[in-house]
Order: sequence, then C-alpha cells, then structure tokens
Amino acid sequence: MLDRELKKGSAELLILSLVEDQPRHGYDLSKLIEARSEGVLKFRVASLYPLLYRLEKRGWILGRWIEKAGQRRRRYYRLTPAGAAVLASQRDTWRAFAEAINRIAGVDHA
Amino acid sequence: MPEWPRRISEEMRQHLDDEYAALRARGLGHDEAMRQLAGDVDELSSMRARPVDAVTSDVRFALRAFRKNPAFTAIVILTLALGIGATTAIFTVVDAVMLRPFAYRDMPRIVMVMEAMRTGQPISIAWPNFVDWREQNQVFEHLGVYRATVVNLTGGGQPERLIASLVSSEVFKAVGLEAIAGRTFAADEDRPGSPRVAVVSERLWRSHFAADPAAVGKTIVLDGETHTIVGVMPAGMRFPSRATDVWLPLGPFVPTFPADRGAHPGLFAIAKLKAGISVERAVSDMDAIARRLETQYPVSNTDHTVSVQPYYEQIVQNIRPALLALSGAVAFVLLIGCANLANLLLARADGRQREIAIREALGASRRRIFQQMLTESLLMAATGGALGVLLAWWSVRAFVASGPITVPRIDQVAVDVRVLAFAAAVSIVTGVAFGLAPAMRASSVDLLTSLKDASRGSAGAGRRLRSMLVVAEVALALVLLIGAGLTIRSFAALSAIDLGFQPAHVVTMRVSLPAARYPELERWSTFHRELLRRATAIPAVEAVGLNSAVPLEGSGSESEVRYEGQPPPRSMSEEATMCLFQAASPGYFRAAGIAVVRGRAFTERDTAGAAPVAIVEEALVRKFFSDADPIGKRIAFEFTGHGPGAQPIWREIVGVVGHVRHYGLVREPDNMEVYAPLEQLPTWFRNRRPTMTLFARTPLPPEELAASIRQAVTSLDRDVPVFSVQPMEKYVDQATEQSRLSMTLLALFGGLALVLSSLGIYGVLSYVVSGRTQEIGIRMALGATRLDVLRLIVGYGMALTGAGIAIGLAASWAITRSLGNLLIGVSPHDPGTFVGIALLLVAIALVASYVPGRRATRVDPMITLRAE
Repeated sequence: MLDRELKKGSAELLILSLVEDQPRHGYDLSKLIEARSEGVLKFRVASLYPLLYRLEKRGWILGRWIEKAGQRRRRYYRLTPAGAAVLASQRDTWRAFAEAINRIAGVDHA
Repeated sequence: MPEWPRRISEEMRQHLDDEYAALRARGLGHDEAMRQLAGDVDELSSMRARPVDAVTSDVRFALRAFRKNPAFTAIVILTLALGIGATTAIFTVVDAVMLRPFAYRDMPRIVMVMEAMRTGQPISIAWPNFVDWREQNQVFEHLGVYRATVVNLTGGGQPERLIASLVSSEVFKAVGLEAIAGRTFAADEDRPGSPRVAVVSERLWRSHFAADPAAVGKTIVLDGETHTIVGVMPAGMRFPSRATDVWLPLGPFVPTFPADRGAHPGLFAIAKLKAGISVERAVSDMDAIARRLETQYPVSNTDHTVSVQPYYEQIVQNIRPALLALSGAVAFVLLIGCANLANLLLARADGRQREIAIREALGASRRRIFQQMLTESLLMAATGGALGVLLAWWSVRAFVASGPITVPRIDQVAVDVRVLAFAAAVSIVTGVAFGLAPAMRASSVDLLTSLKDASRGSAGAGRRLRSMLVVAEVALALVLLIGAGLTIRSFAALSAIDLGFQPAHVVTMRVSLPAARYPELERWSTFHRELLRRATAIPAVEAVGLNSAVPLEGSGSESEVRYEGQPPPRSMSEEATMCLFQAASPGYFRAAGIAVVRGRAFTERDTAGAAPVAIVEEALVRKFFSDADPIGKRIAFEFTGHGPGAQPIWREIVGVVGHVRHYGLVREPDNMEVYAPLEQLPTWFRNRRPTMTLFARTPLPPEELAASIRQAVTSLDRDVPVFSVQPMEKYVDQATEQSRLSMTLLALFGGLALVLSSLGIYGVLSYVVSGRTQEIGIRMALGATRLDVLRLIVGYGMALTGAGIAIGLAASWAITRSLGNLLIGVSPHDPGTFVGIALLLVAIALVASYVPGRRATRVDPMITLRAE
C-alpha cells in the first residue's frame, strides 16, 4: 500500500532529490532508491524510464548521453533550475504533510 | 518515429543488462537471473505499440498471460471446446440434412403427389386415377409414377437382393438428372409390351461392372428375367431412396396394375411444377380433378383427394423438430458458456487493473488496451474452437457409425470445409461475445483509483453486470433442462407403450422367392412349408414362424373388413372399417411373442382344403361383437368384385390376439389387424406374392442363425436370397431412434448447462464475498452472527437464481411448444417437469451459494479491519 502511494505521489520527489547533487543514470537511480529505502521502495523498469522522460519533458531535469572509455553510453540526468524550484516546493509540502500525520498519529520519527 | 521511444528503450535495455550483470555477479546462474528479470520483461513487451507488429505482440503477450495462469486458461478453453464442439457437431448434421443443396435440378419445384383421404391420411395411387391426373392436370411440367420393389439378382454366384423401383420415364425428368452413361427411359417404355430394360445405380455399376462404360448393352438377370442395361444414373440420384440400385421401366408392369379405382397398388408420384406455379395452386388444381373423379366414380373415389407436398418438406419434416430443438440447445449451451467466461474474464480484468493502469500510464492508448484484451479472448476462442472441431469430428463420426436410419442423407454427414468455416465463424463471434465486456471494462479503468487501491476499484458496476450474466445463465439453463426433462418423460412414455409382441431373443430375416421361378401357388407354399420344417429342426430354435408383414416396419396391405350380418352401409361416405391383413404360419404368434387371448393360433390343420379361418385382434372384436364370444363368428376382408354387389369371402374367427404395433409407436392409425393362415393365402397375395419374413425365437446370435437358415434355403433353391437379418429388437430401436437421440443429446446438453451455470453462481458469489470482506467484517464486529452472514451471501445467490428461474419458466412456457412431435405422451407444459427442474436448479444453486457463504462466515473482523 505504502509502496503504491509513494510511487505515485512522491516518486518525482525521490528522483529530483537524487539528481540534486550529481548527475545520475537510470540504473544508478533505481539501485539507490532500493538501497537507501532498505528495499521498501522499488521501481520497475516499466515505470522508471517513462517517469524520467516526463520529468525531462517538463523541464525539471536534463538528460545527456555520456560515453566513458570502455563503456556503453549512458544517459545521465541532472537537475535544472526549474527542477530545483519544484524540488524545494515539494520538500516543503512533504515535510508539512509528514508533520501533520505525525501530530495526529503520534508516530515518533527516529 | 520520434526520438524518445528509441531513447527510452535503449535506456531500459541497458538497465536490464546492468541488472542481469549484477545478478550474475551475485553468483546466480543464467536461468535464475532471467527468471528474476521476467517480470520486468513482461511489462515491457506489452508496451510496444508499433502498429505493424501490434497483433503479433498482442498474441505473444496473450500466450504469456495464458502460461502464467494455466488453470484459468484450461477452464476457459475447455468450456469453449465443449460449447463450440457441440454447436459444430449439430451444425454438421443440420447442414448435411437440411442446408446443403441436392443434386436435383430446381429442388423447390419438385413435389410428391399422392392420393389422400380428405381426413388427411395419404394412400397410394389407384392406377386409373393416375392416368386421369396425367391427362387433366395443368400444373405439372413432368408427372412421373413409381413403385418401390425388391428384385433378386442372379447369375453370378450368391443370389443378391436389390432395391429396385418401377418408374415411368417422367420420374427422371421430374428430378432433372441425366444418365452418366447410356440413357434413361423413353416415353414408349411406359407402355405395356416394351422390352425388358434396366437403368442401374452408379454404385451397382462400380461393384458389378468395375465402372466400365461398356456395361451399357450388357444384360442382367432380375427375378429370373433377362434385362438389358440401357443406362447408369449418377450417385446424386437417390430417388426413390438412396439405396435404390436399379430402375425398371413401368411398361411391362402396367398390365398387373388393377384397372379398379378402389385398388391402391403401392404407386406414388413425383412431379415437377411448371415454372411460376405454386404448390398451393397445384393443390387446388389437383383437388378440382379429384372432385370431378368423385362425381364420376362415387363408389371408389368418394372422399379421395390429392396431396401435393414439396419433396424437400417430405425429406426433412420428420427430423426438423429434433434438429431445431438440438440447434437451440447447443446455442444455449454456448451462450451459457459465454456468460460464464465473460464472468471469469471480468473478475480477472478487475485483478489486472493495476497492470492495465501502468500500461496506460506509459502511454498505451485505451484502444490499444482494448485490442490487447480482445486479442486474448479471441485467441482463447480460436484454441477452444480448434479443440471443438476435433470434438465435433469425433462425435459426428461416432454418430454416423452408430447407423441412425431416421436421419436423411446421413451418408453425407461429415465435418468438411463448410463446417470448418462455420466453426471458425462461431469461434470469432464467441470470442467477441465473451471478451467484449471485460475488454471494455479494462480499457475504461480509472487510473488514479486503481493505482491507489486496486482491490476495491469500481466493483459496484462490475457486480451488477456479473449478476445479470448469472441470471441469464440460470434462465437459459432452466429452459434447456426443461426441454431435456420433457424429452426424457416422452421417451419414458414411448418405452412404456405396449408393443403387442416380445422382441427379445427374436431374430428376423427375409426370404424372397422370385415370382418367375414359383408361378404356381403350390410350389410357393411347399417351399415355405419345407423351410419351416428345416428351421424348426435347428437346435436352440424354440419357435419359428413366417409372416407377410413385420411389426413396426410400417408397410402392409389394407382392406375393408366386415362381419357376417353387418347392415349394408347407409351411404357411400359412411366409414368402412379398415384392416391390415397378414398371412401367418402357425408358429408366428409364439415366435414373435404375440399372446393369443382367446381361442387358438393357427395349426397345421388350417390347410388350403380346410374351412377358411382367421385370427383377429381384440379391438375388432370389441367393435364388431361388443362382449359376445367372437369364436365361430365370420368376417370378410376380401370381396369378389366391387361396389354394392361385391361378394364377401368369409372366414371363421378361431382366435383373438392383442394389438401389435405395426406402423410405429407414435401414431397408430386405427386399423384392425387380421391374420389368415399362410396355407389359406388371401386372394390378393396370390397375385402379388409377398416377401415373407421369418421369425425365430432363439438365444443364438443373428448371424449364426442366419447361416443355418441360409443353408436350409440353399438346399431348397440356391437362387433364393436371405437378407435383412436382424434382431427384432432393432425394429423397436428404429421406431424409438429419434426420440432416444433427442433425449440423450438434450439431456447431455442440459447437464452441461447445469454444470456451467452452477459454476457461474459459485463464481459470482465468491467474487461478491471477496469484494465485501470489509463490509462483512464490520457487520460481524457490530454483532452479526455467522448465520446472518451465511444468510446474506446465500440469500444473494438465491435471489439471482430466483430471478433466473422466473425468466426461464416464462421462456420455457413459450418455447417448449415448438418441441412439437418430439413430445409423445407428455404435454409441452407438463407441470411435473417444470416444477421438478426448477427445484433441481434451486438445490444446485443452494450448494453453489453455500460454499462461498461458508467462506464468508470465516472472515475475521479484526484482520479485515486492520487491512484498512
């Protein structure tokens, strides 16, 4: 249930956060999400790449093919200024939402 | 093509490569790594939307979906195979019997012409009447007359008996067929004194002349007379019957036809209507002629008219009700199957909402998803259809091999290209029928709600649709089961009819003496006497007898019967009592198991020189003598001369027997049966020697007995054939064949419908229970008992069943009437059947509802509520 909610509502937030510091390619993103959430969150191939495409189309991230010696080319995504604004606003919304839930449910965040 | 799909697919491919490499690096084998990737691959391959190979990819995707859920797929395909198989099998028969064109030219213009009583009973045509019809009618382009007969073919080893027909030249013109070698008959061959010639069937031409064109001009010996073959008819010539092997011209036989209009020597007519003349017009024209003849010849022609019936009608009229009922039945089974499958697929579509939502999120259009879902159901329908064709092929072959005799054109019943085309069309229609609703629902999935919570979705609308399907299923099943129930009762009524004889352990066979070799009555009688003596001597033969007619076979000689002292008829139209007269040997009654209820059977002392005697049936005694003792009273069924001056030939009644079913089980004309001793052969038979049938009561198998009898016959005359060897029970089987066939098949289809519809009820209630788990949990938390919950679920099932039964009963009331002649001895609205079948369905539905109901009572309120 949680998985589905997050994927729909906050998948964008996750992607934007992860490309904030450095450009990353799709496989890297999926592995990071799985590892940092300790397996709670997992993206299927079929949803990850179309999502990246949509974010790029909106101008929030920018993808570029990069070839490194001895490797196939990969598409790396980095955050655009527009994306940075969206990220900031989404972080605020999420924080407010999470705090509201916490106040009501009395869940103590570790 | 835009850039982005290529880009995304490259990224995805890389992703999978990376994932594969990572899995291998963790020490997994290739197969295991591929298996872990399979989920991703499945989702991906269903997304490809390039129109060129959309169909291929849909099919591939569907096959993968089948593999993932083999049990579901097997149920769907099996249901389809049964439904389409049954439909195809019945269509095969309907097509061969009713739809496929005949070899005859202008079939709609070919009519059968007979003499008939104004009461409707058809009789054979008096020769002088036929001559008048031929001269006076304005409606027929060709009017041919024929008489079916049997001839003995000799001169080549074993004597053979051939089905023959005496025909006038116009018969060939009426059916519009030419000879494939030689010619048919010329008009002058219809006249007395014409030479002995013959036209043979293609079958005989192949079997006896190796299809040699030079056979035309050769001679064959028929009934001891040499005939020159003048022509060969094509295989399509199946008139008067498909078994006809030889056609003989009428000419040489015309002098044997009585000039008396009161005599009906087995002549029938076939005609071709003039272009533009309707059957109705022909009927009224011929009736006008009949009325003129009535005025001219009141003694013989009063109340006689002419029956004109399309030939096609005559072929199909008896079997049509059965075929229509069975066609309806298989259509119902198929519809019930479709409703069931639509239900199953709807449930699955609900389960697949998430998958569909993801695909839509990825840009698959609704049309695309609709197509994908429909491809799946069409693919299942095609597989089911292919299996169904196999099933049909197998069952049709088994059916034909069982040798039904009441099915016209049975030799043409086979699965062929037409049938395959039909099966393909049915499969496609079926695939669309059961796939459409689920596909429409799937393609209108609400993205957000389904991603949020797939388990609830828009279950309300789905449940309504599914419930309606179940109501329809129950209604259809009820109609089918009532139809089956009625035919079962009808068959039971038929089986309970008193035959008047005991067919078990009786073997029958025919012995045909060629008239030319036995012209004198004495020789004819001596042969039969000697045959009986030798047959009696065969060990294990308990009783043996000869008779000129065979019970249930439906042919025989009829005549007016009178008793001594009967007042002369007051008017011409006063109905005479008709009797079926037979010539029987003394042992016949014991051999056939016909009870002598009064007096005695014939004995060896009832010889030609002794006083003429007769045995009559009880009904005749009741009609003529009320309760008085009939033994010693005299009756006559033959007269010297005609009209008021006719002199009766009296016979003394020596015995009374029960009524023997002669014309069939269903409709027995109210004629009386009268027997004369074989040695005191009725005058009629002296001129037209009947082919006698031998009846032997014996535990021996038919063929073994036939061998002994053949030996006896050959030692008497090596040119006399013995044929039609069969147990007497076979005549009974043939008389009940259509009833038994329709009963068996309808019961089979009814059973299938019952299973399918109970599965439907079970399925929809299981679905309801799983969809309402929360509600049930809450109810139980609020104090509802398990019984309340059970009542809730079972009550819902019974409400659906009740609605289905109400609709089904009303529909049955309207439909069973059309079962027509399939129902014997039972009303099409038989209340016992209606109530019984409805109760049966209620009971089955109760069981089908109880199982999911029980499951609902096991719902743990805590677990369900926590799941929220």
